[in-house]
Amino acid sequence: MAIALTDTELAALETAKVVDARGSACPGPLLEAKKGIGAVPVGAILEIWSSDPITKTDIGAWAEKVGHEALGFAPADGYDRVFVRRLK
Amino acid sequence: MAEKLVIMATHGPDHPEHVTIPFVMAVAAMASDVEVVIGLQGPSVAVAVKGTADGVNAEGFPPLAKLMADYKDLGGKILLCGPCVKARQIDADTQLVENAEVVAAARFVAEVTSATNALVY
Repeated sequence: MAIALTDTELAALETAKVVDARGSACPGPLLEAKKGIGAVPVGAILEIWSSDPITKTDIGAWAEKVGHEALGFAPADGYDRVFVRRLK
Repeated sequence: MAEKLVIMATHGPDHPEHVTIPFVMAVAAMASDVEVVIGLQGPSVAVAVKGTADGVNAEGFPPLAKLMADYKDLGGKILLCGPCVKARQIDADTQLVENAEVVAAARFVAEVTSATNALVY
């Protein structure tokens, strides 16, 4: 499941945990997301940092597959901040 | 029914992309809660020999050794074609990585026919 939040809404999100997967190529960021999502409570938001440009769409596919909610991404300085809400 | 993906690889370490992508897909599938079995046949059995994956780097992907370590940490098994191992004079008792298991054709048939999907590289 994916929803599209505005940049302002994404910037205002409170994240329960940040995983830094910068410098890691596919499937590294995905694996870090898998590990990270288990460390946040149901309903909380995990933020993944990735310098691999494909991550922002791949995390969305992963979230939909495993039953979490991809909230979108925000470009940062040389990387993307990708937001996922744990749903189960 | 739980999803199960069998990934068969046939290329050896002299084909870095062909031997790396199966492990990329395996790790991604396991991160997506899909059961995975990797099967190595032909020249690909060499990557299960300790140390062989070191230095195998496909452009754009993590090193093969890192992917194989991630796959093992996730509980992944590597099934090796017995005749292929024997033909290369690999000592199955001492030379293989910890999560490798030498099997024969019937086991591969059982794994593939019990899977929901299979990929061949």
